[in-house]
Amino acid sequence: MNLTAHARQRLYIFALVAPAFVVLFGVVVYPFFYNVIISLSNMSLRHIKDWEIIGFGQYVKVFTEPSQPNFYMVFLKTIIWTVVNVVFHVVIGVFLALVLNQKEIRGKGLWRAILVLPWAVPQLIVALTWRGMFNYEYGAINLMLTQWLGVQGVQWLRQPLEAFLAVIITNVWLGFPFMMVIALGALQSIPHDLYEAADIDGASWFHKLRHITIPLIQPVMVPAITLGTIWTFNNLNIVWLVSNAGEPGDQTHLLVSFVYKAAFNFYRYGYGAALSMIIFFILLAFSLSFMRRSNVTQNVYS
Amino acid sequence: MRSPRTLRMLSAVAAMVLLFAAVTNWSGCRQDDGRIRITLWHQDRIDIRIILQRQLDRFMKLHPEVRVEELFKETEELRSGFIIAAIAGQGPEIVYGPSDQVGPFEVMNIILPLEDIFEKEWIDQFDPRGCTWYKGHLYQVADKLGNHLTMVYNKKLVPVPPATEVELIEIAKRITADLNGDGKTDRYGITWNYTEPFFFIPFMTGYGGWIMDSAGTPTLENRGTVDGLKFIKQLRDVHKVIPNEADYNVADVLFKDGNAGMIINGDWSWAGYLNAGLDIGVAPLPRITTTGLWCEPMVSPKGFSINANVSDEKRKWVIELIRFLMTPENQLESARELFTMPTHKAVQAGEFVQSNEILRNSRIQIEHGRTMPVVPELRAIWDAMRPSYQAVLAGTKTAEAAAREMQQMALRRIKEMNE
Repeated sequence: MNLTAHARQRLYIFALVAPAFVVLFGVVVYPFFYNVIISLSNMSLRHIKDWEIIGFGQYVKVFTEPSQPNFYMVFLKTIIWTVVNVVFHVVIGVFLALVLNQKEIRGKGLWRAILVLPWAVPQLIVALTWRGMFNYEYGAINLMLTQWLGVQGVQWLRQPLEAFLAVIITNVWLGFPFMMVIALGALQSIPHDLYEAADIDGASWFHKLRHITIPLIQPVMVPAITLGTIWTFNNLNIVWLVSNAGEPGDQTHLLVSFVYKAAFNFYRYGYGAALSMIIFFILLAFSLSFMRRSNVTQNVYS
Repeated sequence: MRSPRTLRMLSAVAAMVLLFAAVTNWSGCRQDDGRIRITLWHQDRIDIRIILQRQLDRFMKLHPEVRVEELFKETEELRSGFIIAAIAGQGPEIVYGPSDQVGPFEVMNIILPLEDIFEKEWIDQFDPRGCTWYKGHLYQVADKLGNHLTMVYNKKLVPVPPATEVELIEIAKRITADLNGDGKTDRYGITWNYTEPFFFIPFMTGYGGWIMDSAGTPTLENRGTVDGLKFIKQLRDVHKVIPNEADYNVADVLFKDGNAGMIINGDWSWAGYLNAGLDIGVAPLPRITTTGLWCEPMVSPKGFSINANVSDEKRKWVIELIRFLMTPENQLESARELFTMPTHKAVQAGEFVQSNEILRNSRIQIEHGRTMPVVPELRAIWDAMRPSYQAVLAGTKTAEAAAREMQQMALRRIKEMNE
């Protein structure tokens, strides 16, 4: 077979890319479009093999079904969950990174290792440990509250609001190390000349933070925040394990645990697929808008 | 002659193809060593798994041409994973678990009827309660019977177990104590997992209630539900003999640490308590004096079903393996080490089961139990019961309102499931 040099090169490139493309197609593209089709179908317990396309009926059900809790309530809780978590992750993470970035701090490696621990422990262990700590009578949180602060113990896992707070506290503890590591990396890449020049100009600590540190860590932090938002929005493990699948009374569900329950506990595959498509579009809209508004793709030094 | 570049390209493509073949397991149903591979999914905890592996090793020694792989999955993961795999024409050849998974598997047509696979004489060797028939077909044969709750008591604290709810309260009050004088209760009379409605069933049945009628329609708004819920509230708020809050782990640890005299727990827990060095007794759950009814837990077999996609080549080995795991020797081995109730009639009538105190009482409890329905709607009923049950314990709902809402929610959930 006589191939031109150009054709051979293209074939070679194709051969290198093909496996990645096959895997990507198998684990992302095909499941995505299959999910789109299922979301337009009546696939469920009674129609698992003889399912058929029924149009947008499942999407309508998501928005109109009088379930308890309904879509809007769960969506609102998911937004609160995401915003509160990401804000705390970023604030605590950046604060600790700023502290660790100080020259005066000794044993930085050790501190960094200790602070990264929550991230290093498997989520399952973290979630179940925190669940034990939130027990009304025997949990460490209430023991501290009653013995050290002399206040009444909180029914963390039995009341809806307290249970929701409990899962948020767990996830804040679990999530800040990621932001801290990212922020620390970004801080260490800022040239010292800029701070020296600012010192000569008599800039205060706050001015340096506002006009040097924050703008220069922004290109790194924005993608991290975007990722953190998507991960937090879609975090099934913590809610599922700490609140024992949405307890009390399905009041601590996020959209993702709501989908899981519909699809895998009640075999409502069409409904679950439609709800997951809605989650996808919510996150897509958020990511595009956030990236555009934060000008993350622009060169910060330009 | 090909150029080095072309050769390089061809070798890269060949390497990719080989990699793809390895990843996608093109070797088919046979392993590289030429043996037939059979996979069994189960949800057994580690001590049961050790016995299972021992039995599988013996089977493979008898049949060197077969390799059996057991794979543990959590109950929910096993159920959903098997459904997804079987619908796609894949999945393990054998799925092992409690009988309530038979309902959804049958509706989805992903397990085989067994009455034509195993001869009647073989099936007749087993306790009929260990053979799960649904819609006229046999879908599961069980090696263990029960999966049932009983009263487990610490003999140091409770020399004689309660026979009625009145005795239960008396004994529990005697045990409940503030041992260090700090004004807080350190030891409770009795405990159990409050978060799961499965543990509420004995109270419901003791007061005359049941979850569904013979047509599968929920019957949760009944006197038994209301009085059962009120009784539990009384235990906690009036008699103060149970902890304020307990899920499975908390209840288990309280009992293991000697901080609870009794626990309502299932046959899966007994071996663990004995291994932890506790001097335990197992007794049937008490009778309610006002109704004259026993507190009846749900009873269900745990057994084997065959994937509808099983290939002809593997089918005979799958059957052979199930026959092997159901033999009296293997059932007796599990009964001796785990105190599970065998389904083989000869083993049930054998000396060990008849003479062992735990198994004797377990058998009485099974007699005072209600068979767990296998219909898929049971899932909706559990889910409908859970929020209201928990709300009553949290003090945010009355027992009457809880029973009403359980019923309404169960009907709605079933409608959604069956859409």
